Amino acid sequence: MNAAIQFNNVSLSYGSKIDPVEVLKGINFSVSSEEIVSIIGPSGSGKTSIIMLASGLETATEGSIKINSQEIVGLKENKLSEVRRENIGIVFQSFYLIPNLTAIENVLLSLEASQKYNQEQEAKKLLSEFGLSHRLGHLPSELSGGEQQRVAIARALINKPKIILADEPTGNLDSANSQIMMDLLFDYTKKSKTSLVMVTHDNSIAERCDRIIEIKDGQIV
Amino acid sequence: MVKLFDTQQLRLINKYAIRDFSRSYKKLWVIASTLFISLLLLSLTFSVKEALNNEIEANSKELLGGDIQVTSGIDPLPSLVFDELKVLGEVSIAIELATMVSKKGQAPVFTELRAVDDNYPLYGEIVTTPLGASKKIYLNTQKPTVLINESIQNLLQLEIGDDVVIMGKSFKVAGLVVSVPDLAESAVFGEFAIISKSSYDKFELSSGGSFLDHEYRIKFNNNIDVSKQASLVESIVAYDDSIETRLPGQSGRSLGRIIDNFSNFLNLVSVSAMIIAGIGISNTLLSFVNQRNTSIAVKKSIGFSSNFIQLMYFYEIILILIGMSVIAYLFGVFSPLLANELLPKSLGIDLQPTVSLIGYLNIFFIGLLVVLIFSIPSLYSISEIKAVALFRNTFQPVSLNFSSKNIILLAILVTILITYFVLQTEQKFYTILYFVAFFITMFIFYGVSKLLISFLRRFHKFSNNGYRIAYRNIVAKKSLAPIMTVSLGIGLTLLLTLSFVANNLKQEISDNIPSMAPDLFFVSIDRDIQPDLESFIKSIDPEVTLEFSPMASASFISLNGTPIEEIVSENNRSAWVVRGDRRISWSEKSNPDNPIIEGEWWEPGNENEMFISMDSRAAYDLGMSINDKITLNILGRDVTGTIKNFREVDYRDISINFAIIINKAFANKLPYEYIGTLKSDMSSNEILAKVVEKFPNVSAIKVDRILSQVSGVLNKIFIAVTGISLIVIVIGLIVIVSAVLVQTTFRRYNNLIYKILGVDFPTILRAMTIEFVLIYLTLVFFALSVAIAGSYLIVENTLQLTWRFDLGLTLWILLTTALVSFVMILIANKSIFSPKVYPLIRNE
Repeated sequence: MNAAIQFNNVSLSYGSKIDPVEVLKGINFSVSSEEIVSIIGPSGSGKTSIIMLASGLETATEGSIKINSQEIVGLKENKLSEVRRENIGIVFQSFYLIPNLTAIENVLLSLEASQKYNQEQEAKKLLSEFGLSHRLGHLPSELSGGEQQRVAIARALINKPKIILADEPTGNLDSANSQIMMDLLFDYTKKSKTSLVMVTHDNSIAERCDRIIEIKDGQIV
Repeated sequence: MVKLFDTQQLRLINKYAIRDFSRSYKKLWVIASTLFISLLLLSLTFSVKEALNNEIEANSKELLGGDIQVTSGIDPLPSLVFDELKVLGEVSIAIELATMVSKKGQAPVFTELRAVDDNYPLYGEIVTTPLGASKKIYLNTQKPTVLINESIQNLLQLEIGDDVVIMGKSFKVAGLVVSVPDLAESAVFGEFAIISKSSYDKFELSSGGSFLDHEYRIKFNNNIDVSKQASLVESIVAYDDSIETRLPGQSGRSLGRIIDNFSNFLNLVSVSAMIIAGIGISNTLLSFVNQRNTSIAVKKSIGFSSNFIQLMYFYEIILILIGMSVIAYLFGVFSPLLANELLPKSLGIDLQPTVSLIGYLNIFFIGLLVVLIFSIPSLYSISEIKAVALFRNTFQPVSLNFSSKNIILLAILVTILITYFVLQTEQKFYTILYFVAFFITMFIFYGVSKLLISFLRRFHKFSNNGYRIAYRNIVAKKSLAPIMTVSLGIGLTLLLTLSFVANNLKQEISDNIPSMAPDLFFVSIDRDIQPDLESFIKSIDPEVTLEFSPMASASFISLNGTPIEEIVSENNRSAWVVRGDRRISWSEKSNPDNPIIEGEWWEPGNENEMFISMDSRAAYDLGMSINDKITLNILGRDVTGTIKNFREVDYRDISINFAIIINKAFANKLPYEYIGTLKSDMSSNEILAKVVEKFPNVSAIKVDRILSQVSGVLNKIFIAVTGISLIVIVIGLIVIVSAVLVQTTFRRYNNLIYKILGVDFPTILRAMTIEFVLIYLTLVFFALSVAIAGSYLIVENTLQLTWRFDLGLTLWILLTTALVSFVMILIANKSIFSPKVYPLIRNE
């Protein structure tokens, strides 16, 4: 079976060449399809940087990153956007819904980016599955934190991505809402045979995953 | 991702843009309003200019009064020639002369009198009050009748039916001339009257003097080819170089040129307004992008490319442009109807609104160029927004994107904009100069703001809280100082420059000249009556200052054998000297008031050779040199003379000044008349009334009357120019307000922190005042410097006047602008004075 994500000797550093800040140092790992992986580690260890690199939103300083066998290091912005549209859904800690779009419009945005039009029914169905059928026309400011994150997850999943990247998706939620959110994510991932890579500080969530990758000082422990 | 003709993508862009409009219209009002005002100004000037040109073109025959006009000057055409013309069609004779119209008990009025035959007018009609009064002048009544214009009616307090005296003969006023089809300047701005030719014949003038003009207008027979007949007419009158012919279109050419120059000036002001509006657009768009930083990053994280997002915002702006340009164009289209109300009725011009796609596209294209120029650096900043910021929750505001690609693109667009304007005007050099000066001024003000910031950084150790807050606001990374300095600076500079020029012109006419000018100008005085006239005036006022100069009429033929039309272009500043009939004088001695600046005065006594003294400015403009040969047509005879010297002539003293003076010994052979000036402590009206009674054929112009007419016109220009530059200021203020609004969130947050720390409202107000005063005082210094330099160059070099500084006017403009600007800023900032704590703490 091909790896959904393949990191080969990946390094990431910021700053000047003379005095660089090394964030990741020669990372090697792979995530197979339908695998659920959690990345844990202390703050500043480089967990989020792995998600950023895997999504193609950040460029590795060295090494190779493959998404569904396609090398993404060195691709131009437009091509990276295409890879992201076709393969990846991202869930952020801070939800990041577009404030002047309603819940359903936020979800549809993801479809429209992939040139899939007139799929309101699909969006409604997914939001209903997430318990938001009564909130379709509401703006983000009219939703609670838990509802906002459910919309954000729906936005990431609507396009049926092969990989879901989640950066502390429950970081801004209380424990009850966290539980609901994780149930939704795990159920959906298993049902749709999708890979999930999730950064978390919550050990109980990490333990529900197929595998845990621990990062410390930019290296896999 | 974005394929230009992918209809689904375009539909998506359209959908997003429309949705954005409906939800963000409050944030787009600055773009819409500044675009609308500047496009409206542009549309108004284009529409009125187009309507005027259409009117001139459509009525070219009416404006000329015939299919062709022949002007023979002082003498009528010989009857044989006249008979030849009559074969070609209907001929109308009009004789124009300057004379006095008087009423008992009132001072006589210098008037342009037109004597017309009953074929007049061949095209169009004389509009009178009461209607049809024009026919009365041809009736063979016991007392001849005259049509006068409103100005004469007011000056002489006349009613219809009253008697007036013209050249010693009594006339009854038959009615008022409202307009004549062929434009008569004096009908609009001065005193104008019409009598019949048969009444004129009864004057039995032996010599009408050089202010007499015979005009023949011909309406060709229907079956005749107009251009062939025009050539035939020209061949019939070719025997005399001084006889001129004019075709339809030529009569409106000078008016067309004035319109073109004025509309060109308005267009430049409009485009200045548009460029300032562009600064607002740029600023608003940048803030728009920064406010949507997160949304843009999210869109990128989902898979939208920067190109798609940029295209979406470009599309929104173009939609606003289309909307605003259509509204502005429609307002502009109907502006000729308003212009009809403002133009003097006596011009007889009836402007019609014309809707044309080309007219609209013209406005839209200029708007599009300005919008593109100013939105490219803002919208291309979208590419700097990184979606990775979503993981870190750290958003850096983006700034204008001036990549090499953008700079090249902007340079191309600016060049297209300037070229487009330059190609539309005849004043190409001045248009380019204006653009160059405008862009330099913009850069100066941008530099000024940076200078202020770096200067203040040296003075940050003040303990005053108000100053410290003001200081921080000015030196902050996203300070208002640059945008405020550039927009207000440009507007203020334009207002000051135009006001200085207009004020200098006004003062030159109204203040200085009357003190040195004579009271009366006598024109066209027969040489036989000159001695009697002089002694009669001296008998009325022995202390009077009288000056008489001989004068003959001449026209310029050639310079060193080359026809003058081939050497001097119509745009030459001194073309007037060589165009048409010119009065020349002669003298044996040089006049100390006209010092010689090149060459030498001639020795007296050479009666066989013509020596010429030229006005130095005209000579240099026309490319003349000492010892060049000039051929003049003097009373039908071509005479060639040698230029002996150039004199400095100051026409502003309104004394007798001639561009061309010849040697007296040669001129003694010429028939001539006199021109004279009078200055007296007595009332000029009283002297004039007595003179006209004794010498009915003498004409005199009252200098104060001419000056008041000129002042009146200048006052109107001054008001118009000030009004126009105020529009630029208003747009500048909208731009500043937009910049203030952009910063509202940031300032509200700052003020909240200050409030929590215990800073009170008066301190915040004081800080805002200090901030404004610091910026305004800095820009005032540079705006004044640029305005003084600009107006000095215009007044001294172009208008050839002495530039003067008016402190009162300057202070008035500066204080008013400051007050209005500050109040606007306070109003725009009102929400920051009482920031609400709750939403900020909740980070909403």
